Amino acid sequence: MKSIMNYIHKETWSPYVAGILLGIVGILAVWMSNALLGASGAFENIVGMIGKAVAPAAFNNLYFNFIMPPGITYGVILLVGVFFGGMVGAATSGTLIWGKKDAANSDEQWKRIFGPQVWKRWTIAFFGAILLEFAAGIAGGCTSGLAISGGMLLAPAAFLFIAGMFGSGILTALVIYRRSY
Amino acid sequence: MTTYIVALTLGVFFGFSLNKAGLTKYNKIVNVFRFTDMAVLQFMMTALVVAMSGLYILRGLGLVTFPAVPATYIAGNLVGGLIFGVGMALTGY
Repeated sequence: MKSIMNYIHKETWSPYVAGILLGIVGILAVWMSNALLGASGAFENIVGMIGKAVAPAAFNNLYFNFIMPPGITYGVILLVGVFFGGMVGAATSGTLIWGKKDAANSDEQWKRIFGPQVWKRWTIAFFGAILLEFAAGIAGGCTSGLAISGGMLLAPAAFLFIAGMFGSGILTALVIYRRSY
Repeated sequence: MTTYIVALTLGVFFGFSLNKAGLTKYNKIVNVFRFTDMAVLQFMMTALVVAMSGLYILRGLGLVTFPAVPATYIAGNLVGGLIFGVGMALTGY
């Protein structure tokens, strides 16, 4: 029992142990609610909701009416859980640095490559996130919703997506880390 | 209501496992593309293997029916994946 508690307090688990936990979560999602784990869809549901209230004409299209219907969906609730789950994880390992100095740009490797400025971190994260959401919209899911959830149902789409993701990810990393790759 | 509680609970465990595997850190995500830290792949593939074997066993026992599988559009999935990788390496999502 004590060793289990100690393991929970560890900052980084063996990826295999954490992977088993996620696998069980994936099974339970299908078993208990016949749903898949997704993260990117939730943002589109929320944007659709805001969009329909602010500019109904612009959002009255196929995508927001049928593919990603607006509303508080299963995915939105799941995403709220993910946020708090991540916080619980950080809190148990004592690395929760909410509101402290350097909390907004705390990654040593990032600082070495791009510099210590917080605005840079946030700008790149913002535009990178636009790319992510856009790509997830085209592909029909993100790492969790398509690659993991689709993959566990052996959907061909998932494996095409994983191939694309790693291909371009490796190229991008090559460009960013030119000398120190 | 029950569905929402299930979703919230599963979400918490989802986020917890991501955090413990280190996937909430920029360096973990980008280092898999530099082949210096394979945690992301180890984590993803373990989850995949556990979930797919569990689900197919449960389906074999007649306990679950699968939800609609994400649709296959070869161009869409591939192009989406290609753009996604760029964003992933930049943001560390």
